[in-house]
Amino acid sequence: MNSELAPRAKVALYGLICLLLIPFVFPTWWMVTSSLKPISDIFVFPPQLFPSHPDWSSYRQVFSIQPFAQQYWNSAWIAAVVTAGTLAIASMAGYAFARIRFPGADALFVVVLTGLLIPSEVTIVPLFRLFLMAGAINTHWPLVLIPMFGPPCVFATFVMRQFFVTLPRELEEAARVDGLGRFEIFRTIALPLARPALASVAIFTFLNSWNLYLEPIVFLSTPAKFTLPQALTQYTDAYGGPMWNIQLAAATLTALPVLIVFVLAQKQFVEGLAHSGLKG
Amino acid sequence: MAAVQLSQVKKHFGAVQVIHGVELNIQDGEFVALVGPSGCGKSTLLRMIAGLETVTQGRIAIGARDVTDLDPKERDIAMVFQNYALYPHMTVAANMGFSLEHRGRPRPEIAERVRWAADILGLAQLLERYPRQLSGGQRQRVAMGRAIVRDPQVFLFDEPLSNLDAKLRIVMRGEIKALHQRLRTTTVYVTHDQVEAMTMADRIVVLNAGRIEQVGSPLELFDRPANQFVAGFIGSPAMNFIRGRCTPEGFAAGGIVLRAPEAAAHAGREAVCGIRPEHFERCGEGSGAPARVEVVEPLGSQTQLLLRLGDTPVVALFHERMAALPGDAMHLRPKAGAVHLFDASSGLRLDDVQAA
Repeated sequence: MNSELAPRAKVALYGLICLLLIPFVFPTWWMVTSSLKPISDIFVFPPQLFPSHPDWSSYRQVFSIQPFAQQYWNSAWIAAVVTAGTLAIASMAGYAFARIRFPGADALFVVVLTGLLIPSEVTIVPLFRLFLMAGAINTHWPLVLIPMFGPPCVFATFVMRQFFVTLPRELEEAARVDGLGRFEIFRTIALPLARPALASVAIFTFLNSWNLYLEPIVFLSTPAKFTLPQALTQYTDAYGGPMWNIQLAAATLTALPVLIVFVLAQKQFVEGLAHSGLKG
Repeated sequence: MAAVQLSQVKKHFGAVQVIHGVELNIQDGEFVALVGPSGCGKSTLLRMIAGLETVTQGRIAIGARDVTDLDPKERDIAMVFQNYALYPHMTVAANMGFSLEHRGRPRPEIAERVRWAADILGLAQLLERYPRQLSGGQRQRVAMGRAIVRDPQVFLFDEPLSNLDAKLRIVMRGEIKALHQRLRTTTVYVTHDQVEAMTMADRIVVLNAGRIEQVGSPLELFDRPANQFVAGFIGSPAMNFIRGRCTPEGFAAGGIVLRAPEAAAHAGREAVCGIRPEHFERCGEGSGAPARVEVVEPLGSQTQLLLRLGDTPVVALFHERMAALPGDAMHLRPKAGAVHLFDASSGLRLDDVQAA
């Protein structure tokens, strides 16, 4: 049976896909083009798809109004540290849950998973008190530790566990016969094979940390310590109204690494989720 | 190379006992096959020798060393798995040299050992490939190469040919046998295929429900099975079993009497008569039992007939072409000395049981 579509059917299908893409692509398109327009042109009707005279001054003002470069660096290093730490913790915890039989393993896994059920809005107040007692308010410690030991890491552990469960036991038994201990099997056999799942965990952990908003606005008060999502809200005029063109320029700069990472690594992202048995 | 001793080895999984006091001595350099139906415990026994399963009770020794509580890496064994268990992210050369590299052997030594094993197994051109780029037979050879590179005291094979097609299985059988003849390393080979066991092993251990039914050379098991289970398991096509009674005239069953001088010694006893399909011969009306052909299966140089002998369906295999048709009548008798008698209740060979 010939599964190739007829040319007309292909045109119709691709046309439909393009139509469906509009609500997904348009907001990003509007953000980028509006960052190059004066404020007066942003909300005109009908909307201008292309700026009549691209104006890059908004991008200069992004850096002059706030220490945006410092805030960019804050987001970047926090996301990097959180990602690295989560990968280390989730890969080891996921492997342990998948492969090590110890008393209460199943019950413990369920307890860990319940961490996903509790919204961060519920835990933010007790966490604030905790970090207040530790003298860590207005530092980056909460933004590193909460994702690394909270729901994002729980999800990452789940993804890794689901992947390791699919590894054939004979591989590890062969490694045992070859003389490897438990940690060596994890490091030299299981971990190299877990690249798709690790890439997937890295991507969504990075994205989650990059987009974190509640924790920064609760724990940080010094602009130089802000992260990007928090910094975006600070581009307001004397009356508290948003300076749209500048804010959208900052938003474009904020979204850029995310778009690049996802486009480059989407194959691993989908593979990793497929291996974990999850969908979307 | 070393001998392997299993002394009253038992294994429980929770409340379920799967190995019941196995006692087995494997000589240095011997090729022993563990055979049996699925679930009989042969793989569990092999994994206990390897150290991949704990021993609930009993003792396992390799050479002079008690290895019962030792990790696999301390037992100086090498194992070939049913699914090959090759490391997918390593090349063939890396797979084969992995254990030596882990043990800190010098790189030149590793390279030499890998080359030696690759030459024996015909893998020299494949050393830089990855497992995903190999055929099933090639992967199996790499798994064997990974084992022999280590020069262990014992090779353990866990149904290594199960995933191969029939033709390749025959080829690999010969290669494994040739390898054993070359290296003379003590080998324990698990298979559910009695033909593999018969063609490869010096001795066969027949297992059933966690117990050893019989240990012996292939021909010993074929010529003198200790019980009905072994008789039915060894030999292809399988042995025919006819329930009846021993009489001074022979073996009586379903209105017929089969020539069986062995039955006279157990006259009056309820028994099961075992006759291999290839041990029937056609005869005249006076000296055989009447049979009716039900199905004719021509096999080229052989003919397999499904017949009804008295009221018992039997299979007969003749090493000739026969012009038989369903419904044909003929007379059959067992060849001299080809009758096996088993006790009807215990299944034990009657020669080994006191005459009634």
